[in-house]
Amino acid sequence: MSGSVAEHADARSESDGDQLVELSQVTKTYRGVHAIRDVDFGLRAGEVHALVGENGAGKSTLCKILAGAVRHSSGEMRVGGQTVAFRRPHEALEHGIAMVYQETSLVPTMTAAQNIELGHEKLLTRFRSLNINAQQLLQSMNFQVEPAAYVSTLGAAKKQMVEIARALRSQAQTIIFDEPTAALTPEETLHLFDVISDLRAAGIGIIYVSHAIEESLQIADRVTVLRDGERVATLQAKSTTRDEIVRYMVGRALTGSRAQTRPVTAEPARRRKVLEVENLILGDIVRNMSFSAYAGEVLGIAGLIGSGRTETAKIIAGELKRNRLHGGRVLLNGKPVRYRVPKQAIDDGIVYITEDRKLDGFFETMTIADNLYLGYLASRRGRRRWLMSGRQRDRLAKEWTERLRIKAINADAKIVELSGGNQQKVVVGKSLVAQPEVVIFDEPTKGVDVGAIEEIHELIRRLADDGKAVIVISSYLPEVLSVSDRILVARFGRTVAEFSREEATQEKIMYAAIF
Amino acid sequence: MSAVLARFRPRSGVQLSQEQVVLLVVVALFMVFSFVLDGFLSVNNLLNLARSVSALGILSVGMAVVVIARGMDLSIVASMGVATAISIQLMQTQASTPVALLVGLGVVLLMGVFNGFLIAFVEIPALFATLASGLLVYGLARTTVLDGLIAELPGDRTFVRWLGQGAVLGIPVPILVFLVVAVLAQFMLGRMRTGRFIYAHGDNAGAAALTGVSVRPYTTIEYMLSAAIGFVGGLVVAGSVGGLNTQVIDGSLVYDVLLVVVVGGISLVGGRGSVLSVVVGTALIGVMLNGMTILNMNTHEKDIVKGLILLSALVLDNRLHPRDEETVRQGD
Repeated sequence: MSGSVAEHADARSESDGDQLVELSQVTKTYRGVHAIRDVDFGLRAGEVHALVGENGAGKSTLCKILAGAVRHSSGEMRVGGQTVAFRRPHEALEHGIAMVYQETSLVPTMTAAQNIELGHEKLLTRFRSLNINAQQLLQSMNFQVEPAAYVSTLGAAKKQMVEIARALRSQAQTIIFDEPTAALTPEETLHLFDVISDLRAAGIGIIYVSHAIEESLQIADRVTVLRDGERVATLQAKSTTRDEIVRYMVGRALTGSRAQTRPVTAEPARRRKVLEVENLILGDIVRNMSFSAYAGEVLGIAGLIGSGRTETAKIIAGELKRNRLHGGRVLLNGKPVRYRVPKQAIDDGIVYITEDRKLDGFFETMTIADNLYLGYLASRRGRRRWLMSGRQRDRLAKEWTERLRIKAINADAKIVELSGGNQQKVVVGKSLVAQPEVVIFDEPTKGVDVGAIEEIHELIRRLADDGKAVIVISSYLPEVLSVSDRILVARFGRTVAEFSREEATQEKIMYAAIF
Repeated sequence: MSAVLARFRPRSGVQLSQEQVVLLVVVALFMVFSFVLDGFLSVNNLLNLARSVSALGILSVGMAVVVIARGMDLSIVASMGVATAISIQLMQTQASTPVALLVGLGVVLLMGVFNGFLIAFVEIPALFATLASGLLVYGLARTTVLDGLIAELPGDRTFVRWLGQGAVLGIPVPILVFLVVAVLAQFMLGRMRTGRFIYAHGDNAGAAALTGVSVRPYTTIEYMLSAAIGFVGGLVVAGSVGGLNTQVIDGSLVYDVLLVVVVGGISLVGGRGSVLSVVVGTALIGVMLNGMTILNMNTHEKDIVKGLILLSALVLDNRLHPRDEETVRQGD
């Protein structure tokens, strides 16, 4: 008798009792292209379920569906046993699903307490009770955040704490963490793990998104691996290993690292120094950045988000201005340069390829051919032309779609209809038509499909082999390791370490980037 | 791997651009009016219709240039009115026509430079910058240079009169001026490097800058172009009514201009549409206005119709070019 009751209870907890979220066969397509396809996923109360996968595997899409930022195209989503399809984040929140975003979604001009209360305000909210309630909530989680402090004055870790507090304030049963440790120091990461353990103990379900496998294994109960938008495995964290997960993630034998296959570049003495950066300073972001880039060499720059790498690149390329006084020097072929606009840098042979192609990479109303041709028209050679030539445009498009292996039905396809990898190639091509001498890539394979990553890496290598000075900024260590001849590590706006290809390892780079 | 190969969105049925939709509406309205309204379908009425909207069309081409570049020129009517009035006032003295016209052109170009400076260098949103600059230039001109409300064109200035009242082979000159302006503008936008840069600027200013377009000088050029084209429209107005009433600056003409631009399919998000959109938009407004006049509708009734058209055009624009990034772009 008692046994049957116990069995019954067990069955309940397995099926729906503690099941917070359940996805079955969920698919999301953008313009006919699958971002995720037929994904099954479940989350129980008091469980940490990690989602791992390469860039573009569909982790963010899955989270956005759960958090109500986008709506799935087909399949079923059940929250608390009830079938739902969220049209906006607010609806997800009402069902107890909150997301802690990678880029924080707090209002910087409000205080921590105001942000926590945001969306729950009564008609009249008393300032005092607002702060007291926030204080209680923050203290209950052992967060050292002053409720009356403006969010814009808080560091990354404290902002994250406020976001977590906000999720708790809205009585979330499910909290999604999207790359929560990307901007944290190791101590802060440890503290976050404690917090997550506390939340788990309180019966809250946690979806933990990360591409750091060790981290996921350390904190999670279960791990689901996504690849190319499909779920390839769900594993118990206790009984799996890093290698197994990598095999699932990659889905193929890892290709031999290029470090062994590539011939050693010319001897240091014979290398030609093209670009020299000395003590570059921009406010608090870039503080004393110094390095050199050589012709025929790929220089990788690793580091955490916020280490001033992008800003340094933008200063070199004329997109940002360094401090007017004591801003340091940039030398191109031994000659000091200071650009006001990117056009001047491009004329001198320096191009910067953006980390966010949607934001400032491509022209969405234009075709592949027009995007490439615009790069030509804006270059020094193209500026002599007053009239456009359709023939020249088509020739250029043909040449570059072949050279960069841009896969599209034809060059007159709209660029928005391409996959991320092909869009990236067009953006790269648009910069290369100006025939630059120095090419700076910023996160060249961010949001790029797996197949195209390899091709872009090959392209980067070829540029160096052709004698160009190539700089690759990447937060993805395997990328830095496989593509670079020399690796710099940036931290807090400075270059703190330099490794040759032979001596660099993930551990060494990570150690330099953090400590 | 499916993501590697680009795929076109599966098309259900026929996809029409806004231009084509509006063109169909124009044709439909035209046929309805021809059957329903007495005196609509006559050569005289149609030429009259076309002539009466030519100036509006010319101003709209000017506005189109800045809207394609994701800008907005609310001062276009003010610069046009002030410059035209100054030109006419010079003609009332002994200045020769070319000199007077050059001075007018100089005024609008200065105005364009001022707008460009405010928007590109001071970084004020175009909407507010041009709203303020329009007020400023009109007020300044009225208090300093302009003698009265109305600048009357002297009878001996045959060229300007010809622009407004002449005819070539039976076709009124204003229509021809509109066509010439439209063709030149389309050539500039569609065939010249400058035009490509204007589209690039409107599509994505950040990308344009990183690609090597000097965005700030281009902003200035765009507002200079728009003002200069507007000046041509002002001369046509002055020629056809024999002078310029500067009260037009306080009127609702600038909203009509916006109406034409937006209705025709030049999206306010920038980078989209062409001069053809302006022509189609002008045709729609021309047919509407003419029909409403024959129907003897008063100004307020016309305003209701215009307001409704503008709203539906904006809704259509929003549908065709949604600002929600998630539905437009793929990948994560």
